Amino acid sequence: MASTRDIRHRIKSVKNTRQITKAMELVAASKMKKAQQVALAGRAYAQLMADMLATVATRVNEKFHAFLAQRPVKTRGIILVTTDKGLCGPLNGNLFKLVLDIKEPAKFAVIGRKGSQFLARTRRDLLADFQVHDRVPFAEVKSVAEFMVKQFLEGAVDTVEIIWPRFRNTLIQEPSLLPLLPLQNLKQAVDKLRYDSRGPAAKPDDRYMLFEPSPRAVFDALLPLYINREVYHHVLDAKASEHSARMVAMKTAKDNATKLIDELTLEYNKARQASITQEILEIAAAQYSQ
Amino acid sequence: MPLTLEIVTPEDRVYSDTVDTVVIPTVEGEIGILPGHIPLLTQVADGELRVTKGSETKGLVVGEGFAEIDGDRVKVLAEFAIHEAQIDENAVEKAMQRAEEALKGREKLESTEVERLESLVRFSVAQLGVKRKRR
Repeated sequence: MASTRDIRHRIKSVKNTRQITKAMELVAASKMKKAQQVALAGRAYAQLMADMLATVATRVNEKFHAFLAQRPVKTRGIILVTTDKGLCGPLNGNLFKLVLDIKEPAKFAVIGRKGSQFLARTRRDLLADFQVHDRVPFAEVKSVAEFMVKQFLEGAVDTVEIIWPRFRNTLIQEPSLLPLLPLQNLKQAVDKLRYDSRGPAAKPDDRYMLFEPSPRAVFDALLPLYINREVYHHVLDAKASEHSARMVAMKTAKDNATKLIDELTLEYNKARQASITQEILEIAAAQYSQ
Repeated sequence: MPLTLEIVTPEDRVYSDTVDTVVIPTVEGEIGILPGHIPLLTQVADGELRVTKGSETKGLVVGEGFAEIDGDRVKVLAEFAIHEAQIDENAVEKAMQRAEEALKGREKLESTEVERLESLVRFSVAQLGVKRKRR
């Protein structure tokens, strides 16, 4: 049996670990709340964009836009949203499983250090990796989206898809894959925005309306914005997932530490009792032999 | 009848109030909107958006986006929007300097990075312009 001193040291170190994991749990919880609030604040934007897209869609022939052009898929373009830091349970591992299922040639743009490490390790075609600050500024996410759109328009990739951990609730994050480009049709895009904003389905405005510079120009400028918003929305979702996954992982770690401390304390008391008993026995034996 | 103005960015709803007039920077120049304007959908350029309410005129710096005008409702969808009062001149100047410094080695940078820095510079110039004009 280990000596009482060893056990005392173990208990102390486990207590330290418990304190750290507890602190990390609290931090993750507050960050998760913030991430969810930001996602809610973005709903007004989605609503307004849905209205505008629906309005302009009735006035242009959508068939001729490059974003809607279906072409044979030779290379898939994938945006992989992962975390920078670990200690978030199986979150990244589940995403990587999804990536490993992709057998067709694909090129990747990745957000988060974990993802770029994984892609480098598995020798996949990594076009670019991006760092996005924890606060998720729109400008940073925009450059990711614009990079991928450029690859799509230049023909380097034939689709743009996004893989991210979908936030279902605090306990469940689903690794998901969603195609962004090419768009099937505009109605789908408008419906998606309405769904994200949880807003009512307004009728497209078909009254007489001025467009400056022209309906076509407005439409052409609006669609890239739609893609930017889509990517931004999913990165926010991924952030909420990351923090909730970390919170759950840290809570488990904390509970395990508590259990371990209980067990060690029991062992410590037993060892202490054993040594006292031993001592008494020795004294008694010494007395008896005199 | 006053106008209802709403400015939203991907990150937040920045402005929501009733106003008398609003001047929006668009890709084809500034346009002033009064109540009862005919329905219009236009592209917004980086620049200063001026709001007049009563005798008070306030400025906001907006990034690229769109504006939808429909009778007495004006909705602006912008990439950024920041109140004049919230502009920190020193911080903006420093950010601009950093961006310009980085742009000097433009050949070495990736095109997306250049684009990001350039938009940062444009946005900074607009912010400083608004702030200085008020003095």
